[in-house]
Amino acid sequence: MQIFEYNGSALVAMVGKNCFAIASDRRLGVQLQTIATDFQRISKIHDRLFLGLSGLATDAQTLYQRLVFRHKLYQLREERDMKPETFASLVSAILYEKRFGPYFCQPVIAGLGDEDKPFICTMDSIGAKELAKDFVVAGTASESLYGACESMFKENMEPEELFETVSQALLASVDRDCLSGWGGHVYVV
Amino acid sequence: MVKPAKGTTTLAFIFKEGVMVAADSRASMGGYISSQSVKKIIEINPYMLGTMAGGAADCQFWHRNLGTKCRLHELANKRRISVTGASKLLANILYSYRGMGLSVGTMIAGWDETGPGLYYVDNEGGRLKGMRFSVGSGSPYAYGVLDNGYRYDMSVEEAAELARRAIYHATFRDGASGGVASVYYVGPNGWKKLSGDDVGELHYRYYPVMPSTVEQEMVEVTGA
Repeated sequence: MQIFEYNGSALVAMVGKNCFAIASDRRLGVQLQTIATDFQRISKIHDRLFLGLSGLATDAQTLYQRLVFRHKLYQLREERDMKPETFASLVSAILYEKRFGPYFCQPVIAGLGDEDKPFICTMDSIGAKELAKDFVVAGTASESLYGACESMFKENMEPEELFETVSQALLASVDRDCLSGWGGHVYVV
Repeated sequence: MVKPAKGTTTLAFIFKEGVMVAADSRASMGGYISSQSVKKIIEINPYMLGTMAGGAADCQFWHRNLGTKCRLHELANKRRISVTGASKLLANILYSYRGMGLSVGTMIAGWDETGPGLYYVDNEGGRLKGMRFSVGSGSPYAYGVLDNGYRYDMSVEEAAELARRAIYHATFRDGASGGVASVYYVGPNGWKKLSGDDVGELHYRYYPVMPSTVEQEMVEVTGA
């Protein structure tokens, strides 16, 4: 059984006009059996930075706890919040530390940088950053998500339209995946 | 990705008024949902139904083949074939292909001169007579609901509701089952399709969303 497909997940982040949206499904399963239908995959790091973690749920929880710890330390030392680009580098470094025994997660990072410029990126389980200008996807439904986002995405969408687009892309993709679904959590900032 | 053991949920049971047969409609290839609208209850002839679990092609072909043989029997013997006979025909065919990789987990349900009949037949050549069966990856969940709510003397509506609920609960828990829950009834005059409900709609019908206080509101965040 593939380790990345053990729990099942679907994550997508999209860029709009001075805003971003990040969305995930809500299913937590053990292979084919559904265990929960209200699982949180996206967490807030600070008001303008969100992190979604797909893949093995236990690694996602542990990784999230470590990252929150590092961010709090940063806040204490620097007396300000981390920029999204800096946070992405931090995540990448932490993942590469475990290069030969990795966390089985694919993170999706979405945040607003200086002057409300939206920033999104994803990386693989050992920290290879993939920056994108339009959208990033992760999880068991990622191939369907690529297709859905590619066809539904437009540049410079306002928050309301971005919300609709992200929701429809997510729902359409998880309807084609046995391992993700049961609704979605969407954050638009 | 491990291939799910016959990713589906089908069930059938005999009760006072006849046989109730129900199935989901999802076809999955590993994790990918290839279709949400597969007909898993196959009409062999107007008074016999077969359910599909396992390989779709295998089930469709061999059920149609069984229908042909049943018709030939009718013509040769001037009377309808019994459910016992039909299931034996299928079981013998599958036994002869044993080990060649056919994947068939089917239930033959029908009404003949002796009354309602239900047999489970699979690709290993197994054939079992029984009152209640469920086949597929979602069958443990369906059995839980079916075994709990089953009584021999139910009305047709009660039995249909039990079958529908059992399929719904299986589609809730099993990732390889979903789509539409179809329910068929086999009575003395043959089979009749009773309902085909989308399991998503059934979810909100059985567990309606109670309006609750809003936990998180969408608020405007001013630039930090």
